Amino acid sequence: MKKLFRISIGLLLLMTSLTNHAVLRVVTTTQDLTSIAEAVGGEQVQVQSLTPGTRDPHFATAKPSMIRKVFRADLLLVIGTDMEIGWLPPLLQSARNTQVQPGNPGYLDLSNGVPLLGKISGPVSRAMGDVHAKGNPHYWLDPRNGVHMAQAIATRLSKLDPSHKDDYQRRFRAFAQTMDNKLPAWHAELAQLKGKPVIAYHKSFIYLADAFGFRIVDEVEPKPGIAPSAATLSALVARIKAKHIHLLIMEPYYERRSASYLNEQTGIRVAVLPQSVGAQPDINSYFDLFDAIVASLNNTIGK
Amino acid sequence: MDYSYFRMKRVAAVIGVMLLNPAVTFAEEDTDALRRQLTEIRQQMQHMQQSYTQQINALEQRLVGLESKSDNSATTVNSTAISSPSTTTTSNSGFKIGLSGLFAGGGSSVDNDALEGLQGGAHDPNQNGFTVQNVELSMGGTVGPYFDAQANIIFQIDADGETVVELEEAFFTTRSLPWGLQVKGGQYFTEFGRQNPQHPHTWAFMDQPVVLSRFFGGDGLRSQGVRASWLMPTDWYSELYFGVQNPKGETVTSFLNAPGEDIGGHTLIDRDTRNFGDLLYTARWLNGFDLSDTLSMNLGVSGLWGPNASGTATDTNIVGADLYLKWQPVYSQRGFPFISWHTEILQRRYEAGDPGDPSRKTLKDRGLFTQALWGFKPGWVAGLRAEYASADGNTSTDPLRDTRKRLSPNLTWYPSEYSKVRLQYNRDWTEHLPSKTADSLWLQFEFNLGSHAAHVF
Repeated sequence: MKKLFRISIGLLLLMTSLTNHAVLRVVTTTQDLTSIAEAVGGEQVQVQSLTPGTRDPHFATAKPSMIRKVFRADLLLVIGTDMEIGWLPPLLQSARNTQVQPGNPGYLDLSNGVPLLGKISGPVSRAMGDVHAKGNPHYWLDPRNGVHMAQAIATRLSKLDPSHKDDYQRRFRAFAQTMDNKLPAWHAELAQLKGKPVIAYHKSFIYLADAFGFRIVDEVEPKPGIAPSAATLSALVARIKAKHIHLLIMEPYYERRSASYLNEQTGIRVAVLPQSVGAQPDINSYFDLFDAIVASLNNTIGK
Repeated sequence: MDYSYFRMKRVAAVIGVMLLNPAVTFAEEDTDALRRQLTEIRQQMQHMQQSYTQQINALEQRLVGLESKSDNSATTVNSTAISSPSTTTTSNSGFKIGLSGLFAGGGSSVDNDALEGLQGGAHDPNQNGFTVQNVELSMGGTVGPYFDAQANIIFQIDADGETVVELEEAFFTTRSLPWGLQVKGGQYFTEFGRQNPQHPHTWAFMDQPVVLSRFFGGDGLRSQGVRASWLMPTDWYSELYFGVQNPKGETVTSFLNAPGEDIGGHTLIDRDTRNFGDLLYTARWLNGFDLSDTLSMNLGVSGLWGPNASGTATDTNIVGADLYLKWQPVYSQRGFPFISWHTEILQRRYEAGDPGDPSRKTLKDRGLFTQALWGFKPGWVAGLRAEYASADGNTSTDPLRDTRKRLSPNLTWYPSEYSKVRLQYNRDWTEHLPSKTADSLWLQFEFNLGSHAAHVF
């Protein structure tokens, strides 16, 4: 019986390997991961994102077309730290693809390879709002983490497709080299922001602040995911004036009224920053993303 | 390395100890002694932490070894080449438990007896005053490499104040069948249409659509059985479901419902399943399309075939079609704004009475509901539902077969994803009530504790 089982498993594996396609199908939960995977995978991969860069990745719309994509995937790349908790687990169950289940080689959680900020030790309560106890999930907004992510993807692709290992490693080195070339320029452009206090709409820019040396001293949201009330806003006005904060940063998909109000009351400048690849039509790659963020910050503070 | 952080921590610790012990003086030697002691304690703690981490890592290694041994087909466990600063691995295999509570209060222009006929769902607000609609305990998780399992237990307080406990669902699903196949078995909601398999706390309106109460009973169509589904290798999402379930009981009312109940003048008999022909067969074909970046559509057809208890050789057949459209703009915050439109149409053919029975006839019933939701700002959804149900023949005195129309506007506010407050108005048009119309207003409150994975695609 056991032998029969093994033979049938063997036959199954043989059949799947015979029908194997030349190109690895990679599915990602965000377009940032798509861009990095394409940079590392080149012509050996075909990458699709489950969510567009214009939408808040915490609140994806679960659609049947996603089941289809995950079902056919050879590799699933996720941000992790519970960012996709609201929609990925049921999607994985419906997609019935063993290979991309957590723990198998086709599942790669990129948060495992980056130094996470904002981990919470001690009790976490839903009364605190949308808090990610495992760490803040917006780590792709630190360009140095992009290199960690590219390396993890290159390692995993090499394992799934050893015949192109050299290609993946070569492209990873090129990615890291481009980053090395770009970082000093970005730092130079944002030099005047170093050490400055900044206010953010949502707790999503702590990695960006860490990378470029500015300080996020407050958020517009009183608690993560909780919209500000009139009372919170007037308290913010007082704090902005007292602490001499001159810059507010926010994602394009949040409501703009609170920011406009704060701008009218205090003169604080508002920079609407793309938070992901694809958030604006001209952001097609991970490097474009930081070019756009740096340009937007520069335009706002230089006004 | 930034050592100032550690210096500050040391100073803070010393201050802390001094505050705790008022006898401590500010003498220099004492502070030095304290410093030395603290350093020792810290070193000991670090040592302990290291040894624990080592032990845990060793245990983890052993577990990984055991897992890969016990599972020949499973491939080797992932290990990223880069040193990983965080050793936690994400896993959805944990045992998840959640509790949701659904409560309603309100009133109607008609009395409680009439309301029972109007609000046919077992979880509908059905009395003037307060109703505990549904308190649901749900548990689930991954059994192993091959199965997931889930159970939902319902607690309710009926109109007489009695607490009712029900095993709503308890089923397993396979995880690793090839070729897009999946098998589900146990007690579960039949996948007929979009609305029937949904649990009351995910409904967009606070009561069950009239046609579903009529065809499937107050609790929706659910029973014991097994079904297989096949995710087809098409260019769009297309899935076929085939199932077989027990046709007997109060949760399969159009089939072998409880003896003594009545349908179209026929009293139901006690009929058992004797052969394969006496089981309930279920089928569904669901398709999903992305019409554009902002618009998606689901289109499904479903069918049911099984025996009914109006005779010894009588059958029922129900067919339905469902359409779901959802629009969401390119830029959206927390899933808002959105517009969705959900429509289902159903038809039932019920053979009442055996051949030779002079009162034998085929009862034909039909119904539809169509509902639109508009999430106009984060946390706020406005909805409108229109319903119609009717049957052939003179059925005007039968609350389950007369011509019914209902219009229900509602407004829902989600303070967070885990709670909601909903206000709903129902305008009813009936034939069986002397007043012919009824107006009801209900307020609903819901809470969700723990995790509940009940997302519908």
